Amino acid sequence: MNMDSTTALAADAQLIKAIHGGDERALSQLYRLHWPMVSHFVLQNSGSEDDARDVYQEGVMVFYEKVREGSLELSCQIKTYLYAVCRRLWLKRLTTKSRLHGVRLLDEEEYGPYLNTGAEDDVQEAEERDRRFATMSEALTHLGEPCRSLLEGFYLLDKSMLELTAEHGYTNADTAKTQKYKCLTRLKKLFFASYKEA
Amino acid sequence: MQTEADYYALFEAYQRGELAAGARASLETRLSTEPRLQQLYTEYQELMGTLAAYGERRRTRRTIAGLHEAMLAAEAAPAAEASSPLTHSVNPILRISRTERVLREFWSGHRATVGVAASVAVLAVFSTLLGMEAYRTAHAPQNGVRELRREVAQIVRSQKALIRKVNTQVLGTTEAVAPVRDSKYSGTGFALTADGYLVTSAHVIKGADSLLVESRDHRRYRAERVYADTKHDLAILRIKDPSFKPFAKLPYTFKAGQADLGERVYTLGYPREDVVYGEGALSARSGYDGDTAFYQVSIPLNPGNSGGPLLDGQGNLIGVVSSRQDDVLGAAFAAKSSFLVRLVDSLKNKQAAQPYHLPRTNQLAGTGRSQQVKRLQDFVFVVKVYE
Repeated sequence: MNMDSTTALAADAQLIKAIHGGDERALSQLYRLHWPMVSHFVLQNSGSEDDARDVYQEGVMVFYEKVREGSLELSCQIKTYLYAVCRRLWLKRLTTKSRLHGVRLLDEEEYGPYLNTGAEDDVQEAEERDRRFATMSEALTHLGEPCRSLLEGFYLLDKSMLELTAEHGYTNADTAKTQKYKCLTRLKKLFFASYKEA
Repeated sequence: MQTEADYYALFEAYQRGELAAGARASLETRLSTEPRLQQLYTEYQELMGTLAAYGERRRTRRTIAGLHEAMLAAEAAPAAEASSPLTHSVNPILRISRTERVLREFWSGHRATVGVAASVAVLAVFSTLLGMEAYRTAHAPQNGVRELRREVAQIVRSQKALIRKVNTQVLGTTEAVAPVRDSKYSGTGFALTADGYLVTSAHVIKGADSLLVESRDHRRYRAERVYADTKHDLAILRIKDPSFKPFAKLPYTFKAGQADLGERVYTLGYPREDVVYGEGALSARSGYDGDTAFYQVSIPLNPGNSGGPLLDGQGNLIGVVSSRQDDVLGAAFAAKSSFLVRLVDSLKNKQAAQPYHLPRTNQLAGTGRSQQVKRLQDFVFVVKVYE
């Protein structure tokens, strides 16, 4: 058991390193490895296949973003951590979905001490971030065209100014640029207005 | 005066390091001295940071969704990646129709509940059915007729036995105590012949292990079953105890013919510890459901009366008390004596070794009712049945 966990931890460390380095194959491997566990967990606890997918992707996202930031402090195996995160996420969904207050989850003993994995805090942090992103997405929607596609094109899709100029039919890149900055200030107003009030 | 948009352009250029050295230095100085500009710059940074992270998040989400698709594809074609150690589970749900998938999800989510509910339902149904069946067989009177043998109250009996036991122990009497074993049922029986044949109802001795008859003076004799005719509810017993002294003569005779409607009749029996007299009239010449083997009599009868003699005013035995109808007031039934006589005749032919001497002379005729009863009660017994 001890040997097992040591080798597992070593493998985990390797995987984390690879993912931190942006290795998509490592992420894919991780993803496949723990999917059965989470899907089983969700299905066991009155969820559907789709619920399982959503929860798992959310969970992997939390993990991935922490890894990419380099701020992940793992005190257990990845498996346990993912289980804890997904468990937390699913519990949240269940409680919002059902008016039933005392939702009880069937846990697999195998995934062991899912408490004190730091998952709780990470999920909370991720939620805060989600809220911020939701606000951003909303602000972008409210911005309307052509500002939205202009900003998305430049900042999110990494298109060049020239491309965008052509796309939106501006006379030259400078006009487009000026327009972009105007859009940016509007975005700022929208974003902070709804983010602060929320 | 520069607009906010102009400042944004400036900030972006600054962050990308596209500003010339002089412009940069001037901006940095202004940032450190002008709080308004500083705030603007902080907001700009936060906005851009969020925007960048948002973009990153969108990319990541797409990547992960792609991973899921890839995984499902890999599982759907396991042969292609059979060598890969990563294909853990082959998910059969992928290859089934949507309806079935929904059903499967429902099943996997609720199968415990469904199982429990089903077993509770099955249990409830069967226990109700069996319970009702048991209740009916236990309580329903057979054919609406209740047979009148008495279930002896166990508690009273055992209490008496206890008191007797205590008395003997405390008082130190050495008097031999009869082995106290309680009978399960009791009924009534009466003498058929002077030498120890008795008549009772067949249902009284049904399931009997051993039989004990007790006379009015509390003498007990062992008895054995000679013959039982369940169809006419008649049974013949014989006292086999050597201590039994044959009677001198029976005072009554058995009527071979039919008795008449409206005849005043009476019976003696043991519905309780003491002998009880009951009288009434012969109200019909057929029994329950038109059974011609029985009379209907209007005598109030109770459990324990079964097997008692039914006599007419002249002291002729005309029947053997058998049962009463529960849903009709005052309807009791007694087996006709003609069937008893016929039964005895048929037994005579079979068992010549032990002849039946039915009484021939009636000593009760012409005497008063109380005189008759006084004579009669010596020939009426309690029949105790042990199982």
